[in-house]
Amino acid sequence: MNKPVTNVASASADLSRTPAASNNVTDNTITPAGGKSMRDFWQWMFSPERRGAMLVAPALIMLFLMNIFPLMWSFGLSFFHYKASSIRPPRFAGFYYYEKVLTDPVVWERLQTTAQIVALSVLLQMVIGFAMALMFEKKFPFRRELLMLVLTPMMLSFVAVGVFFKLFYEPTFGILSQGYAYFFGEPLTLLATKWGAIWAIVIADAWMWSPFVMLLVLAGLVSVPDYLYEAAAVDRASWWRRFKTVTFPYVRGLLLLALLFRTIETFKIFDVVYIITAGGPGTSTETIAVYVYKVAFQFFKTSQSSALSYILLFVVIVLTNLYLYFVNRRNEEI
Amino acid sequence: MSHLIIQDLHKSFGDLRALQGVDMVVEKGEFFVLLGPSAAGKTTTLRMVCGIERADQGRVVFDGEDVTGAEVRGRDMAMVFQTFALYPHMTIFDNLAYPLRQSGMAKADVVQRVNEVAEMLRLGHTLARKPGTASGGEQQRVAIGRALVRRPSLLLLDEPLTNLDAKLRFDTRAEFKRLHRELGMTIVYATPDELEALSMGQRIALLRGGRIVQTGTPDELYTKPQDTYVAGMVGSPKVNLIPAIRRGADDAPLVEMPFGAVQNGPWADALKPFPVGSELIFGFRPHDVAPATDTGGDDGDGGGTMRIAAKVHLIEPLGDVVILDLTAGETQLKMVLPEEQAIRYSVGDDVPVNLRVENSFLFARETGTAIC
Repeated sequence: MNKPVTNVASASADLSRTPAASNNVTDNTITPAGGKSMRDFWQWMFSPERRGAMLVAPALIMLFLMNIFPLMWSFGLSFFHYKASSIRPPRFAGFYYYEKVLTDPVVWERLQTTAQIVALSVLLQMVIGFAMALMFEKKFPFRRELLMLVLTPMMLSFVAVGVFFKLFYEPTFGILSQGYAYFFGEPLTLLATKWGAIWAIVIADAWMWSPFVMLLVLAGLVSVPDYLYEAAAVDRASWWRRFKTVTFPYVRGLLLLALLFRTIETFKIFDVVYIITAGGPGTSTETIAVYVYKVAFQFFKTSQSSALSYILLFVVIVLTNLYLYFVNRRNEEI
Repeated sequence: MSHLIIQDLHKSFGDLRALQGVDMVVEKGEFFVLLGPSAAGKTTTLRMVCGIERADQGRVVFDGEDVTGAEVRGRDMAMVFQTFALYPHMTIFDNLAYPLRQSGMAKADVVQRVNEVAEMLRLGHTLARKPGTASGGEQQRVAIGRALVRRPSLLLLDEPLTNLDAKLRFDTRAEFKRLHRELGMTIVYATPDELEALSMGQRIALLRGGRIVQTGTPDELYTKPQDTYVAGMVGSPKVNLIPAIRRGADDAPLVEMPFGAVQNGPWADALKPFPVGSELIFGFRPHDVAPATDTGGDDGDGGGTMRIAAKVHLIEPLGDVVILDLTAGETQLKMVLPEEQAIRYSVGDDVPVNLRVENSFLFARETGTAIC
């Protein structure tokens, strides 16, 4: 065997090479010079033991730059006096902003608004989702096609859904207002009152996410073995009792998961609200996520918004752990 | 009074014709067995009796009332499923109490009833557990208990022993007989196992391909099978079926087999109209073959027995009895002997045997139906 020709790439490569692999490089170095060092470099990069890592590296780097680094950076900033719009360097502030956020009545008000929207929207999603699942459990003509159609809202982007509903709700030419005017003679300005605007958001969100609940519940419904229904029928159980004692136990776990998942997601609701009402009228539909956005990018209170974000993150983490706990428990049950 | 009448029941699942005209009548308090191989239509029949499945055609009359189209709930019957179909999320107590709670029974009564059934079926120690943690035998008893707890007048059992091991099956067979005697309810019991059918059934309906081939007491099925299928299904070891030809004069028929001819069987009169040369199948139970003693038997001309010169081909000991596979020329036949008699023979021995002609069967070869 020839000794490997020494150059930077192959020398450094050889440090980690098995004898068999270094033979490979040795053969390659016999080829005419020129792109030699370049080719060695590529070969080093994409050698089998490194290939996987190299292929995911760009994604990981992007993820780190765009997500993880800003996440940690903003965590740091929440302990400093800092405005992103100002040139002044950050000054240490300790827990000043956390205290400020937690004692701020506006934050509690926004949390209340968020809770109202979450409660209404998730409830609506659960009820509609469950009802649709019961419907789709049965066989009927065009079931598949209808199912696909029903699932589309879930796959649309938030912005698209927001824009749809903003146009639906538009007082002069929106379909809702027009329909209202047809029956009652005057246009409907749904977004002008607090509860009108809240319902507008709830309907848009529930429209988008009821299919998700339906999918989960449907999975539970189809997992009920037929023979249990037959046994219950022979045992003379009424429809309601059959539902309660046979169907529901199979759906309960999934329903809880849907509830938690949708609560977490709706708690963070931003896009749809921002597009449909932008928090209005006044601040009556300003959810906590919209508030964070305003604090961060309209008032440029960077430290305060970071602190608030971390408090919200904490809430979400608690809910998520609850969710994971129930996921695991369900896995054990089955 | 007939408790359950089924008339001309038809059912198809797509191209599969599961039932093609089932007729049967079950008397009150009877232990009625549906016997047949898998896919013969036993389960489908039961499911239509209790109303889970709707008949394409035909009628189900229960307690003098046509229930063909009626709801499952309206029928005073219970069913034990082959899969047991226990409610997995409930304790065994709740499983047993399930049919009672629906009827709005007082709590104390429910508890008492469940405890009675649990005691009868020896389930007392399992009541707090879920079915998933119970053994196969316990699960099966829970399934039976759930059916019995409501005290239905008709109990349907769909292969309840199939999922149990041999020992448990044996015990449970006796248990069913005891339950039937004590509770006095009508039982329709589906099974593919002829031993279960013969040991428990007061009457048996033999199903094949969605039709009932023959209905009768175990004894009737055993001694008067209507065709070769029934003869083959009932009785263990299996009946000997030997191809034969009708010979002899028009009014003195003779059945000729490879190892000899026979006449004067119980079928002799019925055979007369058949033309000479008709193809037949001659059948006899292994129990009706015995080693020839020097005193008894002749060559089949009138004495009620037929002598066959046979050779021992194979010996299958089954404990107290032994099955001897014999060859007579090219023909194979089986003989059952008590163990102490069989001990005298070994493979290759010549054994002259006597066949009791009075218990033999004769079938037309083409259709398989009995001539008698």
